[in-house]
Amino acid sequence: MAHTVASFDEDLRQISQLIRDMGDLAGSMVGASTKALLNSDNALAQRVVSDDAIMDARQRELDDRAITLIAKRQPMADDLRSVVGAIRMAGDLERIGDLAKNIAKRVGSVGISAAPRDLSHSIDSMAQLVLIQVQGVIEEYAAGDATALAKLRNDDERIDVKYTSVFRELLTYMMEDPRNITACTHLLFCAKNLERIGDHVTNIAENAYYVLTGTQLPANRPKQDETAMSAPAA
Amino acid sequence: MKPMLSTDLNVAETTAEKAKIEVKNLNFYYGQSKALKDINLSLPERSVTAFIGPSGCGKSTLLRVLNRIYELYPKQSAEGQVLLDGKNILDRSQDLNLLRTKIGMVFQKPTPFPMSIYENIAFGVRLYEKISKAEMDNRVEQALKRAALWNEVKDKLNASGQSLSGGQQQRLCIARTVAVKPEVILLDEPASALDPLSTAKIEELIDELQADYTIVIVTHNMQQAARVSRQTAFMYLGELIEFDRTEKIFTSPREKRTQDYITGRFG
Repeated sequence: MAHTVASFDEDLRQISQLIRDMGDLAGSMVGASTKALLNSDNALAQRVVSDDAIMDARQRELDDRAITLIAKRQPMADDLRSVVGAIRMAGDLERIGDLAKNIAKRVGSVGISAAPRDLSHSIDSMAQLVLIQVQGVIEEYAAGDATALAKLRNDDERIDVKYTSVFRELLTYMMEDPRNITACTHLLFCAKNLERIGDHVTNIAENAYYVLTGTQLPANRPKQDETAMSAPAA
Repeated sequence: MKPMLSTDLNVAETTAEKAKIEVKNLNFYYGQSKALKDINLSLPERSVTAFIGPSGCGKSTLLRVLNRIYELYPKQSAEGQVLLDGKNILDRSQDLNLLRTKIGMVFQKPTPFPMSIYENIAFGVRLYEKISKAEMDNRVEQALKRAALWNEVKDKLNASGQSLSGGQQQRLCIARTVAVKPEVILLDEPASALDPLSTAKIEELIDELQADYTIVIVTHNMQQAARVSRQTAFMYLGELIEFDRTEKIFTSPREKRTQDYITGRFG
């Protein structure tokens, strides 16, 4: 049902549109940054860096709109949840932008000593998993599908598992040939960034779930970061 | 339409607090027209309960039943039970004067008597008690202090109650109510005619008073209900639609109609 005050609906619609825009931008930044990494494409990497400025500007605009809406309308119930949720989701999307930018910035460093084929493959498939999550979370939120959001949040486990295996693989390459260490260290940071992006998607899914249902998902979710365990035994 | 009234909605029970007032199967009529339909709710002791809903939903009517003030008007009748500490106040044997010393009421427009500030308070006390001048002085001072008005009026107790500002007049009315030592205070839109600062003082007062009194407030101001009350009842077309902890009502109500109302989608 529409609000009696029609401009209230318009204010809410604009905030929700900004979240979708930021979600689209986050997806394109994550996709472009890993593509730039795997193809040593400096121009594409540069585009990701400049996209991050757009992302930051969007977040500031959303914050302004949300604060103004709270001051003007004193939203309640689902309206209140959606505005507060938007502020929090925008924070996570902005962080995803930062992490994608960080991956893009490493393109030059990894660049020429291009990663071994197998390794590119592992990072690529990890990036694909992350991309599906980033794109999915905003789609499901826009569609109002709380069940899908709960599932999507649990799917982050697959990224964690993948990260653990990439970590082990990189460790192996570095032990095999010390000349790989520089490139592999950068790639390790990239993999960690992808894993962190997954965590931000999880936060977004939890927030979106709360906005839609008014209830919180249970605090503990299956967690699988085993990199600590795969460190050389003392 | 069946109101949501499973036992889990009974706030007094879920919080294991003693119910001061229990409303059971209450129906109310203005002549032929039914203004309250099978209301059931229980108001916990020493706690603030807010009644909200659009105009004509029955919230003020329900408040007026709680001290039977509706009986001042012809052709109004209530059926069902309103238990104050387990005793049905709708019973014919109920002494109305005694009832109204136990359940005080403050109205939307401040209604000071055309007499001095001191007499505004002493007047009601004298109706029920015979006390010495010294005791009365003390009672007046305590009541004014309780209503956070003492510091503003202590040097002009003989000035007319009507010379005070709107916000002060309303606090004088609360002092008058408190002076007869009630157990329950009913507030019908107590701050809707006041400026924001006076409103804040009334809200601060409500917050303090709930340590000693059971308070029921009717308000059109949703933010006010959210700020001052511990539980909130949403009423619509004479029915109790939802009754729950205030934070639950204002963040994630379970009824669609509650949500639509508090978010400004109708009403």
